[in-house]
Amino acid sequence: MALLKREEWQGFVRDVDWSYRYVDDEAVYPEWHSGTGKVPRAAWAAWEESYKVSYPEYVATQREKEAAAYAVKGALQRSRVWDGLTEGWKSATKMHFGGAAVAEYAAVFAELKMARFGLAGAWRNMAVFGALDELRHAAITTFFGHEFISRDPQYDWTQKAYQTDNWVAIALRNLFDAMMSSANVVDIALQLPLVFETGFTNLQFVALAADALASGDVNFANMISSIQTDEARHSQQGGPTLEILAEHDPVRAQWVVDKTFWASARALSALTGVSMDYYTPLEHRKQSYREFMEEWIIDQFVRTLEQYGLRKPWYWDEFMRGLDIWHHALHMGFWVWRPTIWWRPMAAVSPDERAWLAEKYPTWEKVFGDKWDVIIDNVNAGNVVATLPETLPWLCSTCHLPCCNATQSRDGTWRVRDVQLSYDGRIYHFCTIACRQIFWKDRSGVNHETLVDRFLAGRIQPMDVGGVLAYMGLTPEVMGDDPDYAAWTRDYAGRSAEGLALPAQL
Amino acid sequence: MSEQDAFAGPDAGEPAPQLIPLNAIFATDFVQILVPVTTENTMAEVAAAVAYHVEGKRVRALPYDKVVVYHGERLPTEMTVAAAGIQPLDSIAVEYDIPEGS
Repeated sequence: MALLKREEWQGFVRDVDWSYRYVDDEAVYPEWHSGTGKVPRAAWAAWEESYKVSYPEYVATQREKEAAAYAVKGALQRSRVWDGLTEGWKSATKMHFGGAAVAEYAAVFAELKMARFGLAGAWRNMAVFGALDELRHAAITTFFGHEFISRDPQYDWTQKAYQTDNWVAIALRNLFDAMMSSANVVDIALQLPLVFETGFTNLQFVALAADALASGDVNFANMISSIQTDEARHSQQGGPTLEILAEHDPVRAQWVVDKTFWASARALSALTGVSMDYYTPLEHRKQSYREFMEEWIIDQFVRTLEQYGLRKPWYWDEFMRGLDIWHHALHMGFWVWRPTIWWRPMAAVSPDERAWLAEKYPTWEKVFGDKWDVIIDNVNAGNVVATLPETLPWLCSTCHLPCCNATQSRDGTWRVRDVQLSYDGRIYHFCTIACRQIFWKDRSGVNHETLVDRFLAGRIQPMDVGGVLAYMGLTPEVMGDDPDYAAWTRDYAGRSAEGLALPAQL
Repeated sequence: MSEQDAFAGPDAGEPAPQLIPLNAIFATDFVQILVPVTTENTMAEVAAAVAYHVEGKRVRALPYDKVVVYHGERLPTEMTVAAAGIQPLDSIAVEYDIPEGS
């Protein structure tokens, strides 16, 4: 039997649909899953992906990618590359493994939801490929991280982190549950493929791949580059969905895009911002986080908004100011609360590193330098204990990250200001004005309690540092600590240091 | 023992001090923190409780008194949490009371 040519069959294979005789359309595509809203049902028939692929082509390409990724891994497994990596870079990878491996698995279900409830055959077809992609990403990320458990137990958190009540894991689940699990498929298509994958996986995968290669971690660069090729394909589910939604309901389109961009930016400032500007060795840093955001994320995001007739989000000025603050403050937070994380945070504030930070971020010394100086002087005075936490940071009720974003006063000083909301009989606190606004508009859907909420509700016992660490699943061999205090404090030794805490009396 | 029992006094007739968890920021520190106080604590004690976590540890200690700022108002050092009307989950700031011109 002669085979049909590709162009003769692909048109109907990629966009199969049915007319239902025994049930109505609402029964098959219920609003709470499919989410057509104000968009006429028939409008979705125009949904068309720009890059078309058939199943045989997909399988052949994926097979090649898998073979290539595992061949590199197999070759490097016998080498001593890992032994030569810095603790800082290893921490960047532990953070990624723990934050991404199971989140990739959650993305399988988001894609499957679109594969079932997507409002066009072509969309559902694309989402099947997306689900297969995400399954591969969950597997490859888990497998690559798993290899190192025998050398360092912190890599066990590749699979464990997302399933604990660790505060970073809660923040990530809070982000991804809203983005991928609880939403209808129209919102998912805007939140996951359009905003997060088109926008932010560039940050995590392209920028981090460059830093990985520079740091000598060929294996990690190989893994995430392989993943990124899939993202580039299945992320195109966002464009056609936004095009249709923006035409019929631009207010909803704007809101979904705006809030997801914000939530993604908050999370990625913690994960990628800290990795790029602190954990990547100074000599291997290609760009600062801010430079990368401006070149790769912001320009593209603004172009996307313009392309679909949307405006810059209402919080744009606050977001741009945050590029100089958020990840630096979160880095200090990770470092101070280092026993609560599953990697070893490098403070990375030696004179050379501070000079680089000050060049890239002209306000860095003024906002953060004084705090690091006191920490440095305590370490040099032999009082590391004074730098360890004895209470919790206040966590934002929207993004679940610490409330640590200083803003500048008219007199030029920088202060962290409270952003609060009284609602339903209690007071909520937020890290930013935009997080408060998002909470208010989405308040009926808020379903995660921060670690501070859980602590104050008495669900963490005993109510002390030990109780909190146990609640978060941290064991002594995994708790983070600075891997090399001397590396960033020795150049300051011997200087005069007033106003330090007294060593604790034993 | 519950949190309330921990603060119960010997005379069951007197109302026991209530635990008041606060959202607090110390001077130029980089982050808001959780600091538990009681309704009976004075502002001087509240300031000390917040400063304990930060002063000399992340913010260099200064030789000045400290003052609690609540809803933009500087509270007297002897005023209690109850008298100030500070509620659980309220936000306070603790600042150095630096004389003008110094």
